[in-house]
Amino acid sequence: MQTLELVKTAVQSLKANKKRSFLTIIGIMIGIAAVITILGIGDGITQTMYDKFGNNAKQGQQTTEIIYTPDNINSSTYGFTENELDGIRTQFGGEVKKVQIEKETDNLSTQAEIGDLNKTISLSLVTKPVRQVKLIAGKNFTSAGLQSGEASALMSAAVAKKQYGTAQNALGTTVMVGNTTYQVIGVYQTQGQYTDAGDQNTYGVNFLLPKDVYYQGDDVKQGDTLKLTFNQGENASGISRRIAKYLKKSGAAASQGTYEYLDMEKALKQFSSQMSIITTFISFIAAISLFIAGIGVMNMMYISVSERTQEIGIRLAVGATPFNIMMQFLIEAVMLTLTGGLLGFLGGAGLAHLLAPLMSNAVSGAAIHIHAHISLNAFLLAFGTSAAVGLIFGILPARQAANKNLIDILR
Amino acid sequence: MMIELAKINKYYQQGTNRFHVLHDISINIAQGELVAIIGESGSGKSTLINIIGFLDEDFSGTYFYQGRAIHELSRKQFSRLRNRNVGFVFQNFKLLREQTVAENVALPLLYAGKRRKEINERVHEVLDQVGLGDYADQFPKNMSGGQQQRVSIARAIATNPQFLIADEPTGALDTETSQEIMDLFKHLNRDEGTTVIMVTHDPHVAAQCERVVKIIDGRIVSDSKGGMLNADS
Repeated sequence: MQTLELVKTAVQSLKANKKRSFLTIIGIMIGIAAVITILGIGDGITQTMYDKFGNNAKQGQQTTEIIYTPDNINSSTYGFTENELDGIRTQFGGEVKKVQIEKETDNLSTQAEIGDLNKTISLSLVTKPVRQVKLIAGKNFTSAGLQSGEASALMSAAVAKKQYGTAQNALGTTVMVGNTTYQVIGVYQTQGQYTDAGDQNTYGVNFLLPKDVYYQGDDVKQGDTLKLTFNQGENASGISRRIAKYLKKSGAAASQGTYEYLDMEKALKQFSSQMSIITTFISFIAAISLFIAGIGVMNMMYISVSERTQEIGIRLAVGATPFNIMMQFLIEAVMLTLTGGLLGFLGGAGLAHLLAPLMSNAVSGAAIHIHAHISLNAFLLAFGTSAAVGLIFGILPARQAANKNLIDILR
Repeated sequence: MMIELAKINKYYQQGTNRFHVLHDISINIAQGELVAIIGESGSGKSTLINIIGFLDEDFSGTYFYQGRAIHELSRKQFSRLRNRNVGFVFQNFKLLREQTVAENVALPLLYAGKRRKEINERVHEVLDQVGLGDYADQFPKNMSGGQQQRVSIARAIATNPQFLIADEPTGALDTETSQEIMDLFKHLNRDEGTTVIMVTHDPHVAAQCERVVKIIDGRIVSDSKGGMLNADS
C-alpha cells in the first residue's frame, strides 16, 4: 500500500475520535510549548545582547572599545590623543583595521560660557528629539532642526534658575561651547545624576546639545573612549587586550588613570552559558512532561488497537500484511504527536513573543528591547522530538495490532 | 487441480485441553466448481475453509494450491497469497463502518498496491456487477443486509481472485434476500468462471450447489461429487 493512502487512513481514524485525539496531544503540546518558549526567549536575549554589545560580527567587521578612566574625575587629561593613535597604528597596524577616538555622547564634561560666565558644565549629545526629559519652558528639539544643524540647546532648570532666576528668562540666551554658540530653546526639569539602577544618567546633565553641531567637521582629536575596528575573522578580543596592555605601558595618561578593555564578548559568553543552564533545566522538565505524554499516547493507541480489532481483522483478510497494519498504527501515533508538537511550537512561539518584552524590564531595565527569536533549530527540535515520541511510544501498540491472530478476530 | 488438501489435521489448544478439530481431511477442488460445505455448528467446517482460504497457517498435513506447497509458507507470504488469490464473504459482512462503500471495495486493491485511478475504475466496475452502481458514496450502516452483503461480494471479487470463500453468506439474511445473493454467486460461478466455496447451514442454499461436502465432527462423511469417501479411515 502506498504511503499516501496510509496517511489518509490515519487522518480518517484520528478524525473519527477527535476529542480523544485532542486530549491525548495536550501533554505533547505543553511539553513542546515550554521548550520552545524558553528557547525563544533565551535565543532572543542572547541575540539582543550580541547585537548590542557584541563585536558586531554580523556586519562583516568587529568593533571593540577601550575606555580610559582618569583617577581624578575632574581631571581634564584625555586618555587618547593623536600620539596614542599613532602608537597603536604602528604597533598593531597589520591587525587593526581602524583606530578611532569615539565621539562620546553621554555625560561629557567641558568648559562653556553661559552668558558671560566661564563655567565647567556637564552635557550630553542627542541626535533626535528627547523624550526622556520633561520640558518646563520653551520647546524641544525638532527632527528638522537637528538635521539642518541648528545650534540650539536645552538647559536644565537648575542652571536656568541659578543663572537667570527663572526658566522663562533663560529662553533665548546663549551658551558657548568650544567655538560654537548655542541658543537655548528650552528648559527641562533637572534629573538626578544617577539612575535608579545606579548607572550614570544620560539626562542628569546641565545641557543637551545636538551631536552633529558639537562634532561639526572635525575628527575628534582626543577623548576617553577608543573605538577599534577589526576585519572579520581577527581575534578581536585578544588584540584589544594586547592594545590595552600596550596603552598601560606607553599611554601618555597611564600614570593618571587606567586603560581598560571591557571584554563584552566574554561577559556575553558567560551570560549565554547561564542561559543554557536554565534552558537545560527547563528542557529536563519538558522531557518528563513529554515522557508522560508519550505514555498517554501509548495508552490511547492500545485502546484504539483493541477497539479496532474487527477493522484489523478485515484489513488482514483482504490482504494487508502485518507490516501494513503496523505502519498504519505507527503513522497514526506519529501524526498525533506531530500535530501536538506543531501546535505546541506555535503556542510556544506565541508565548515567547508575549513574554520577551516583559523580560526586558527584568533583565536590563527599559533600555533594551528583547525580542523572542524562534530559530529554525527550535522548529526542527519540536518537529523531531514530537515525531520521536510518536515512534517510540507507538511502536509497541502498532506491533500488537500487527501480530493479532486473524482467526481469533474473525471467529 | 487447483486445491489439493491431504491429511489435514487441526488442533485447538484451550487451556490444558487439546481439541482435535479436523481429522485427516483430504479434499480436491477444481477450478470453476461451486462447492457447499455443510455440517452442524462446531463440526469444523469454518476451520476447514479458513485453511483453504489461507487465513489459518497453523495446521498439519499438506496443502498444494496450484502446485505450490502452502504448508511451507510464512505469515507474510500468506497475506500476499490471500490478497491475490482469494476473496472473502462473511456472514456478518465485515465492512468498515466509517468508510463509504467505494472505500470498502477499494481496500483489497489498495493493499495490492494499485494506483488510485485504476482502483476507482475497478471499484465502479464491480459495484455495477453486483447491482450497486449508485451506492458508491453511501455508508454501509445505512444499507440493508442484502445490500451490505453485495458490497462485501464486490470487495471479494475486486482483485479478480481465483476463488471465493463464503462463510455462511446468507446466514444473516431472509429467504428472499438469500436467494438474490445465491443468484449472484451462481452468476459469478457460471458466467465469470469464479470458483466458489461456501459454508452453509441452509439446505435450500446447499441444494443449489453442484457439489456438497458434508462434515461431521471434523470428518468428511459425504461428498456429492466423489460419493462417500474418507468416512474415517
